[in-house]
Amino acid sequence: MSDILTHLQQIFRDVLDDPRLQITRESSAQTVKDWDSLAHINLVSAIEQEFQIRFALGELAELKNVGDMIDLMEQKLAVR
Amino acid sequence: MNAYRWSELYTGLAHSFEVELTAFMMRQFLELSGDNNPLHLDPAFAASAGFPDVVVYGMLTSTLYSRLVGVYLPGRYCLLQGISLDLSKPAYIGDQLTVKGEIAHLNEAYRRIEIKAVIEKGSEVISKAKIRVGLLEH
Repeated sequence: MSDILTHLQQIFRDVLDDPRLQITRESSAQTVKDWDSLAHINLVSAIEQEFQIRFALGELAELKNVGDMIDLMEQKLAVR
Repeated sequence: MNAYRWSELYTGLAHSFEVELTAFMMRQFLELSGDNNPLHLDPAFAASAGFPDVVVYGMLTSTLYSRLVGVYLPGRYCLLQGISLDLSKPAYIGDQLTVKGEIAHLNEAYRRIEIKAVIEKGSEVISKAKIRVGLLEH
């Protein structure tokens, strides 16, 4: 499991209040219980604060799953 | 009432106000909530549990967070979306409270504001909250 995925898993567990949640690159709002629109905003905001990065609305609209999110985060962290 | 727009907000923007807790507030909250637990109504019961007087409802003091975001930060265009709350110490009728809030994070993509808030009695923290609000755009 990548460092970012490990870190994201803890954020997802905290935000979705599920200490046993297991996420993978393929996880998405369709496969993760309680990942609704409000939870999505909470997740994005928590990730921004934890990793000190910012997302644009257009970038977020293109994400299909956790793997896409990790790829986008890696791009942002590389140029920070 | 404040009426902040998104472009006027920034991390660190803070507001505060003061409130005195009254017996009238307790009666109003009892009627509103239906919570007739004796800890909030019966001084003898409260004393037997080690409190000097009836304890003000934790959710009563927490209503002040609604005022904080709806009136002060961001005010008129606020849409409350969530709150995480810790009730740290009891409050009593007659207490003078200070409610403080400060923007901790602004999520540009979804125009979400995260506010770190606290209610204090003098130097004592009564409760702490992380409040999540959106901003109406009309």
